This record gives sequence, C-alpha cells and structure tokens, in this order.
Amino acid sequence: MMNGSTPLLEIRDLHVRFKIYEGELKVLNGVDLRIDEGEKVGLVGETGCGKTTTIKSVLRVLPMPPARIIKGEILYKGKDILKMRRAEIPSLRRGEISAIFQDPLTSLNPVFTIGQQLGDIIKFSLKNQGMKRVKRENIRLNAASLLKETGMPDPERILKSYPVQLSGGMRQRVCISEALRVNVNLLMADEPTTNLDVTIQDQILRRLDDLVEKRGTSILLITHSLGVVRNLTHRVYIMYAGNIIETAETRELFKNPLHPYTQGLLKTVPRLTGEGVSKGIPGRIPNYLDPPRGCRYHPRCDHRMPICKKDRPPLYVMERDRKTSSDPAISSGGRIKEDHRVACYLYRSRAE
Amino acid sequence: MARNRPVRSALEAKRVNISKGWYKFSRNPLSGLGLGVLIVIVFAALLAPFITPYPEHAGPFTDFRRSSLPPSLTHLFGTDTVGRDVFSRVIFGYRFSLLLAIVVISLSVPPGILLGLVAGYTRRHWIEIAIMRITDIFLAVPPLVLALAITAMLSPNLLNQMMAISLMWWPWYCRLVYSVTTSLRHEYFVHDAELTGARKMFILLRTVLPNCVGPILTKITLDMGFVITLGASLSFIGLGVQPPKPGLGTMVADGAKRLPAEWWMTVFPALAIVAVILSFNLIGDGLRDMFAVEEI
Amino acid sequence: MKGPILTVENLKKYFFTKQGTVKAVDRVSFSVIQGETFGLVGESGSGKTTIAHTIVGIYAPSGGAALFKGKNIGVDSSRRSIDLKKDIRIVFQDPGSSLNPRWSIKQILDLPLRVHSANAGPERLERVRELLSMVELPPEEYLYKYPPSMGGGEKQMVAIARALATNPSFVALDEPTSALDVSVQAKIINLLMGLQEKLHLTYLFITHDLSLMRNMATRVAIMYLGKICEVAPTVAFFQRPFHPYTRMLLSSIQVISDQEEELKPKKIISRGEIPSPVNVPPGCSFHLRCPERMDICRRVDPVMVEHETGHFVRCHLYPDRSGRQPTDA
Repeated sequence: MMNGSTPLLEIRDLHVRFKIYEGELKVLNGVDLRIDEGEKVGLVGETGCGKTTTIKSVLRVLPMPPARIIKGEILYKGKDILKMRRAEIPSLRRGEISAIFQDPLTSLNPVFTIGQQLGDIIKFSLKNQGMKRVKRENIRLNAASLLKETGMPDPERILKSYPVQLSGGMRQRVCISEALRVNVNLLMADEPTTNLDVTIQDQILRRLDDLVEKRGTSILLITHSLGVVRNLTHRVYIMYAGNIIETAETRELFKNPLHPYTQGLLKTVPRLTGEGVSKGIPGRIPNYLDPPRGCRYHPRCDHRMPICKKDRPPLYVMERDRKTSSDPAISSGGRIKEDHRVACYLYRSRAE
Repeated sequence: MARNRPVRSALEAKRVNISKGWYKFSRNPLSGLGLGVLIVIVFAALLAPFITPYPEHAGPFTDFRRSSLPPSLTHLFGTDTVGRDVFSRVIFGYRFSLLLAIVVISLSVPPGILLGLVAGYTRRHWIEIAIMRITDIFLAVPPLVLALAITAMLSPNLLNQMMAISLMWWPWYCRLVYSVTTSLRHEYFVHDAELTGARKMFILLRTVLPNCVGPILTKITLDMGFVITLGASLSFIGLGVQPPKPGLGTMVADGAKRLPAEWWMTVFPALAIVAVILSFNLIGDGLRDMFAVEEI
Repeated sequence: MKGPILTVENLKKYFFTKQGTVKAVDRVSFSVIQGETFGLVGESGSGKTTIAHTIVGIYAPSGGAALFKGKNIGVDSSRRSIDLKKDIRIVFQDPGSSLNPRWSIKQILDLPLRVHSANAGPERLERVRELLSMVELPPEEYLYKYPPSMGGGEKQMVAIARALATNPSFVALDEPTSALDVSVQAKIINLLMGLQEKLHLTYLFITHDLSLMRNMATRVAIMYLGKICEVAPTVAFFQRPFHPYTRMLLSSIQVISDQEEELKPKKIISRGEIPSPVNVPPGCSFHLRCPERMDICRRVDPVMVEHETGHFVRCHLYPDRSGRQPTDA
C-alpha cells in the first residue's frame, strides 16, 4: 500500500451470473481485489476461472442480458463503476482505464491503417482532456512517438501499414501504444503475450514493464502463466472458479504457496530442471450451473474437511512472522508489503 | 425438464438439439411473430376452399350488382370491378405465391449447393473457374429481364414463370456455398477427414455441408420473399398468373387502375404480399441465431 | 537397437505466393527412431508445422525425400495407400478447429473406424467407447456431446483418441497443449506418455514451450526460418546448447524458480523480429539477429555438422568433427 491512500481500483464481493439454455452460470462468486497506484498486480487463473469476466465487469462491457451482476461493488478512485451512468463510462475508458487483450488481430480494425486507428484514439483522448481542435500533424507525431516508446522500429512505416501486414508482436505493440496513450492510470492486460513467440514475448514484457515503471501506471496482468507473473508483478492473486483463493507478494507466493490449488498449480508447471511431468490436479473445474457448495475447490482437494462443503472460506490473513523473517516489511520502492492471505480452512488457526 | 443432464442416446441427442434450436430461435420475439403469421397464411392457403366465404369467386365469376363494394362485414376486403370478393381471392392468391416460392426454391437450391460445394472444394483449378464464371454470367443478367424474356418467348402462365425464375435463382446459392466452402476448406477437421481416407463426396456432403446449413436456410427464408415479389411483379405486367385466376400481383395491377377512390382493390392484395414477405424475413433472423455455433 | 521409422532427407516445401516464394521448409534432414519422442522446437515461421503437415500428407513435398518404414511417402494423402493413412496420424494444434462443430463425438470417433475397419455399427460403437475411456472421458457423458460445448482440454483428448483410433505407429503432435492451461496440459502429457508406452508409439512432438520439451522429448531439433539449427539428445540440448538461436530462445523463457534461472544461458537479450519468410536474409538466415555474427555469416549459409557425438549444429562457430549427418542416427 502506498501510504494508505485510497486504492486505485477495488473490487468488493463481486457476484456475476450468466443465463444460458441449460440454466444460469454462477461465474463470479464473491471476488475481492485491490490495486493501488503504481502497483503491478497479477491475476492468475486457468481458463474458465472468471478472470475475463472480472475485467469485463470493470470495463462495463459485459453483455447485460445474459449477464447479471447480483451484488458487489467496483470502486475506481472511490467511485462505484457499476453505479455510474452510461454517459460517464466513455470518459472512464478514454482517460483512466484501458485494456489490452489476447489477440491483437481482433483488437485492431483490419480496414484502417495503424496511423488512422492510433490517430483516432489520440484525438479522442486529447478532446477528452479538453482540447478543442487538434492538429493532424500533432496527432501523427504523437502516434509516432508512442510507437517508438514500445520499441517499434521505423514507426513512420508502421503508421501507414494495415494490421494484417504486421507480425503478431508488432500488432501487440500497437495495442500497447493505444492502451498507454495519454497516461492512463490503470492498464488491464488480458494474456497480452500468450499468442506470441517466446523471444518476442520476452521483449514485449520487458518493454511493458519499462513503460509502466516510467509512467507510474498501475497494471493488472491477467494470465495463466506463472512464469510471466513471477518476473513482472509486485503482488499476485490466484483465482479459482470465480473466487480469489490466495493472494500475496509475488516472491512470497512462489516461495511459500499455501492453498492446495496453488501448490498443485506450481507442481504442474514443467520445469527446466527436467523432473518429468507431474500428474496434474485430479478432477475438473466445476460446472458453473451447479457449483459445489462451500469451497468450490473441495471436490478436488486432498485435504478436504467436512467444513469445506458447508461455507466458503474467507481470505484468512497469515500472521507475518516478524521475528524470524528476514524479509523487511517495506520494500525498496517504499511499498509496504501486503499480507499473505489464503481462503482455506486449513489455515484458520494460523490466521491473525 | 432437467436441461443439464448428459445425453444418453442418439434419439435423445436429436431431441435436445431441436429443443435447443427452438430456444435460440425464440429468443427473438419478432421471429416468433413472423413464424406465427406465416403459419396462419400457410394454413389459410391450404384450406382456402373451406374457409373462404366465397370460394367460387376465385375463378370465372361475375356479379355486376355487387361490383366495387367497399369493405364491409359481408365482404371483408370489399369486391372488385366484376363483383368478386377480394378477401377470398387474396387467400386463393396466396396459394399461387407460396407454390411459386416452394417450387422455385426446390428446383434451384440443390443444384446451386452442389455446384458451390464442388467449386469450393476441388483442387482442380479449372473446374472451379468454369463453375464460377458460368455462375457470374447468370448473375450478370437482371432476374426480371431474363424472366421476362423467357416468359414472353413461351406462353405466360404460372408454370413457365416458375421455370424462368428457377433458372435465375441457383447462382446465388452456388456463390454462397462456394464462399463458405472455400473458407472451410483449410480447417483442420476437413484435413483430418481427408487424411483419414474419407471419400470426397462424404467430405462434401457430411463434413462441409452441415456447416453451411445456417447461411443457406437463412437465405432461403429471405429468398421466399424475393421470389414472391418477383412473381408478383411478373403478374403485375401480365406475364404471370393470368386472369381470371387470382394472382396477387395481377390483383394489384387491376386494382391500381381504380386508385384512389376504390383503394381496397389494390391495397389489400399489396398488404397481403407485404405480410408474407415480412414474415419470412423475420423468421430469417431467428434462423440465423438458431444456427450460430455458440461456444461457451 | 531400434532403427529409424522415419527419415527425412533434404526435404523442401516451398509455397509460391504473389509476394514471393515462401521457403517454409528448406532442405531439412533428420531421422526419427522407432519408439522415441522426437521434439521439434521453433517460433512462428520456423516451418515446424509445415514439416508435420508434409509428413502426414496434407502437402506433397516440393523436393527431397521422406521415407517411412522404408517406403517413400513424398506424396500427398490423395495418393497414399490406405495402410499408410492408418499408420501415420496427427493431432492438430487448435482444438477449436480440429473437430467438426456439427458432429457429435460419436460421429467424430466413428469416422476413422468406418474407413479402416470392416466392423459393423455396434462393434464400432464399442470401440468408440473404448477410445473415450482410454483418454479418460466417461463415454456415457461424452458420446453425444458436441465440440462447442466442450473445453479445450476435452476437445484435445478427443483429437488424441481420434488419432489413435486406427492403431497407428507414428503420431505427429503439433502443439497439442499450447492453447491449454498447465493443469490440463499435465493431464494430457501424462496421457500421451502412458499411451506411448502401452501402444508402442513414436511421436513427433512440436511445441514452442521449451520447459515442456525438456520433460517430454528424447531428442530435440530447433528450427529457424525453414532450416534446422541444432539437433541433440534432450539433456545435451538444454545443458550445452551450441547455436546462438538456441541460446537466445532458452534465455527468453519465463521460469518459476531460481534454480531454473540458473540453468538458463546468460546474458542473451533477444533482439529483433523474425524476418518474413519471403525475405530470408542471405548467408546464414539468423545473422541479422545473432549476437555472435562474423563476416562469413553474411555471405555463406552454414551446413549441419556433428560437433559432439549425437549433437549436430549448423553454425560457422562450430567446425565439423566427424563428417556424419543427422540422418545417420
């Protein structure tokens, strides 16, 4: 936490359901998440855990039927996004929160050049800030410098090209420029590099990291790749079946995973050390039409107890062992380190 | 009904599919309306001799004492210049329109689909080119003009009208199926069927075609409307259903001479045409939703 | 010692487009030994998928030879014998498009049986149930399901069952788990390894995930712009990578523990983008991005040499030590 100020984004107890032919999918079951200014936060979870639904809720792009928000709040700088009127949302999207998605080819309009698309966005953002008339030359220079910042060689040529003429890596860089224009406060990146080659992925993640550090933008990095999160974030949330089941400082989580799911997940990642492939986590993700009562992970859990079937465990705060831990409570950047919290009855007695 | 239960037999699978399809269709209230109106029209047309008040008016009949009467309780849509009940004639007129639509679609769609599949799938470039250029030639001629020419060469009647329009209609399906087929051609599941050793006909009809059904059916419903309009247009200029038979277009033409004073002779047949076309179009929307492949 | 089941020699596959000739596969040679898992690694444009597609018969090669069990397979599937189609199978990369969305799982698994076995309906249904059980999908639940209502992992397991339906000897696996989560991936990889042992299969395993390759493959080959850069047994490939591209790739992977960080080659920040395959640079195709390029690299394309026993590399930095080729496995 930066000096205890209001968090930039806070999701409180969000419940979302989707109506389909077979019934109602109870996708989000009480999601709690917080991002402070200047923080890099990871949201890790497997396909179908609800991560995309979560960010779509923040951006207010969920198709409202069939989706329904049952309860919960999404507070941005203290104001509830869910209660905002439709008219206020575009300015939120233009100036404050932006997003990058997984497939840059579908995020970009195939029939306009990069220059036209980036130019439009810059124009809207500048108008949003109050500038009445913007010169075309200014827009072009602005666009070119944005592209250069993301490491694009020869920005002038890129501005004249169409998305289909660029490689995946370049397209994603364009999307990043679009997302980072005009100093947004929060960037949500949904699997930004999953579809890209390994070497390009590395380059782009480094570049994203640089840009974010330089501008002090907060980033919510959503991915199913633990490796990416380990190298790029301050804090991580682990999500399973519509719930946050563990959260901690990144280093701490990898050193000391508490929740059985987190432990299982870390075990299934193939290692460069060559130990062979683990057996994976038994069972499957729950059917959202009729999810398990209590802790949604309990059918797959080796350590399940009777109470796990009754009520959903809250996020218990683990007592920080201040005497023996050599880890300082304040990081080198001035951030007060977060507590390690886990939603599992195994740790009920250890909680503060 | 427990919609969430796993399906345990082929029969049950078919039932669930139909039920799911209906669910997707019915999410569109307008499509339901269109379907309802169409069902009423079809039944009315089928049972025309039994439900119309004056079935004998749909033929050579005159009663000049009751000519040009405005709409009333005895004559819902009024009577025409020779005393025939417009309402009864409209219902009988639907028979011709629907028959025309059904025959034209039945004759033109299957060859169009087959040619489109072959053109889109074949590796032999010349076959593809040959089929598509012939298609282009047919598409280049405006349908009304060709239909006019053919009907004028042969004698003007419903049968020739149907033949003429059928000849015009197949290219659209060929092109539609061709475009879907070429886009599916390189999907992995098609490659897999080829690599497994399935025969070409099997691949075309059982692998590719089922994926074209959605656009084809949607187009068929929209086309019903077009064909009926085309038929009415031909009748309007005297090349379709010949008097004294009650073709809707013919009735519009005859009644037009009596506008605006005796408006009912034209307006009701025209509205009847609009009703049937509109209902087909609304159904088309629902059908498109029904066939959309939804991923969860 | 088992011999090679597949040998590929100077294999070429060129595509002729309006922008130029795409040399997707450009004189590739290697052998796959019966029973092993031969790994093929590379980024986009490397040609690894094209090689798999050529071996399996989606394309006929533009040049070079491919021999399977001694017989020439350098033709596309329309010219192959039915026995060959039964024997070489493929699991495709994208589970979403590898299963026909309009067919039920029963129909999908029935097709190979209809083509290749003489059995009647009920016997084939029994076999379909057997196949589903083999990939741990309960038949009662999955027989009449349709792909759009299934998750990626389940679809991929059906694709594997389909590939194995004809009792093949050789299966090409093109990025079978790339679109999937780690826990599903673990399940599928375990399944594949178990089945390999049980059914005596040989795998050609393609992936861009090097950590996965480390645990799956017996030998690994890395490709760049249509050519192989290095081939070696797995441990040697990872512990002593020779080619600068191999080192660049290894140093870019995101690992989750400090131990693994130690194992990565140090200090190679990846540079540049992969050039378009229509515009292959002259000389060594990697020289534009190579941190160790020399003058000769701009002019002359290196040839594959055996620098250590069983470890082949194609780079001017490494002289030939034995004169053997990767096809002489």
